[in-house]
Amino acid sequence: MKGASGTRGSPAFVATPAMPAAANWRAAADSLSGALFWLIPAIVVVFLLLPILVAVFLSFDDRDYLGAFPPTAFSLRWYRSFFDNPAYLQGLVTSIELALLSTAVSLVAGTAAAIALAGTRWRGRHGLEALFLSPRLVPTVVIGFSILGFASALHIFDAFTRLVMGHVIITIPFTIRAALASLVGIRRNLVEAATSLGASPWQAFLDVTLPLAKTGIIAGGLLAFVLSFDEVAVSLFLADAFNQTLPIVLVAEMRTNLNLTVAAIATAFTALTVVIVVFLDRTVGLDNVIGKGLYGR
Amino acid sequence: MRLSRVHRLLLAPALAILVALLVAPIVLMAVESFRPYIPGRVGSGAGWTLFNYAELISPAYAFYFWDTFRIGFIVSVLAVLLGVPIAWHAARTRRHAVRVFIFGLLIGLLFLSLIAKLYAIQMTWGASGPLTFFGRLIGIPVSSPRYAEVQVFIGLLHFVLPVATLMLIGTFQNINPQLELAAESLGAPRYDVASTITLPLAMPGLLAAFMICFAMCISNFVVPLILGRGVVLFTTNLMYTRFSDVANYPSGAAIGIVMLVLALGVVYALTVLVRTLFAEDLRP
Repeated sequence: MKGASGTRGSPAFVATPAMPAAANWRAAADSLSGALFWLIPAIVVVFLLLPILVAVFLSFDDRDYLGAFPPTAFSLRWYRSFFDNPAYLQGLVTSIELALLSTAVSLVAGTAAAIALAGTRWRGRHGLEALFLSPRLVPTVVIGFSILGFASALHIFDAFTRLVMGHVIITIPFTIRAALASLVGIRRNLVEAATSLGASPWQAFLDVTLPLAKTGIIAGGLLAFVLSFDEVAVSLFLADAFNQTLPIVLVAEMRTNLNLTVAAIATAFTALTVVIVVFLDRTVGLDNVIGKGLYGR
Repeated sequence: MRLSRVHRLLLAPALAILVALLVAPIVLMAVESFRPYIPGRVGSGAGWTLFNYAELISPAYAFYFWDTFRIGFIVSVLAVLLGVPIAWHAARTRRHAVRVFIFGLLIGLLFLSLIAKLYAIQMTWGASGPLTFFGRLIGIPVSSPRYAEVQVFIGLLHFVLPVATLMLIGTFQNINPQLELAAESLGAPRYDVASTITLPLAMPGLLAAFMICFAMCISNFVVPLILGRGVVLFTTNLMYTRFSDVANYPSGAAIGIVMLVLALGVVYALTVLVRTLFAEDLRP
């Protein structure tokens, strides 16, 4: 075992002049693939991070026009301009209200359904679970389009109601899946221990099951909130002139001119994302978010 | 076993939401897609027609489908190829810091607003960004319409790469590292270990990641909307234009039904493919 790990990272197969050409070729392929295995990740990380760093950098640009990169002077003017534009603020308020309301609905309904699915051995439960997760497979434009037609058939013309309808259906698979994953992981004998000690099923649920499943349920709610907050396609179909979400305002802004206020907003989003990742690392642990697999250490 | 009363009550709200907000609207949309379109009128006319579907076969519309599938396919292949090395490192590294960095990066990119990412891409790869030399390098000037397609590629790659890599980490984690170590200790070059042991075992995972990326790409709406500059349009954008510009609801509904069938078809094809090709590997 010790010898095996000692050969990792060093070429186990070294070509010597005495070897045939095929072996030389293989050794070359070996070192090339080894190099690529380090080079590709480095390029990918730069590819994924560079644009975000550029946007953060640009958000502090002092010039009032979109000049060549890099900026020559720095200020907070684009952060101030966010608060000077009522369309952004109104959009932000609508987006937060919408995300809070639809996350609350899909969290309550989703968690309740997950509790039932995790607690029953009813034969239809797998089919029902597939149905609950199926909105993820439906393109969001189809959801937005179909709900628009459905709402007008029911004479629902209030845009905010329509938006909540659309956002609940796109977020509910995520709250159900997160709650289900954390509920299924709870060992049955813990609950049985509580009931054998005289707790009612309801008490056992409140004192044992729920505290253990809490982090998973919260993570699902967080994901639902972020999804709703960032949704464009569904909102574009269902919003009207008086109920514009922040993403819709931003998309309209980006299609007409490249205002650097958007860079300031993107920077704020990035900062918020960093907070979420640190929060997940401190509470659940990033290892646990992704899982360690069958052979995890 | 029957469903108890408590469980039925617990399932009721979610089931009501699914039926009212997914099943019923899609059924209504399917019905609408067979209705004739009357210009200048909101909604649809009376009677039944197949025209809304027949229209989509004409070259002008088939082109949107072709663009969507072509770009989606290339991006998904790239996402899997580029995701494999990172995922492998994340799954195999002994250094805690490397793993936490990769996990944190991927989860962060998953949570980061897509709109923020697309704006950042536009500022970085666009005409005023620091990477304009890339356009000259590949012979497509930043100002030319064809560069919009390059930007859509970049945008979609940002969208699916974190997802593909996270899926692949799971795949590699579930391949016993002892197999690779055993082959290496017997003198096999790393290249051979990768091509004869790791890759074949990872194949179902690679296919799954590819298919998920493909499904995500072809149903994406925002990336071509923002980065496509009107030059690159996906079927999703076509559907939106049918509704927003000409208020042709029946035609939009027909496109929606076709997209839905295609999206579900991709997932179904994946399940069948993995099951038939790797039936033995997947047996517990």
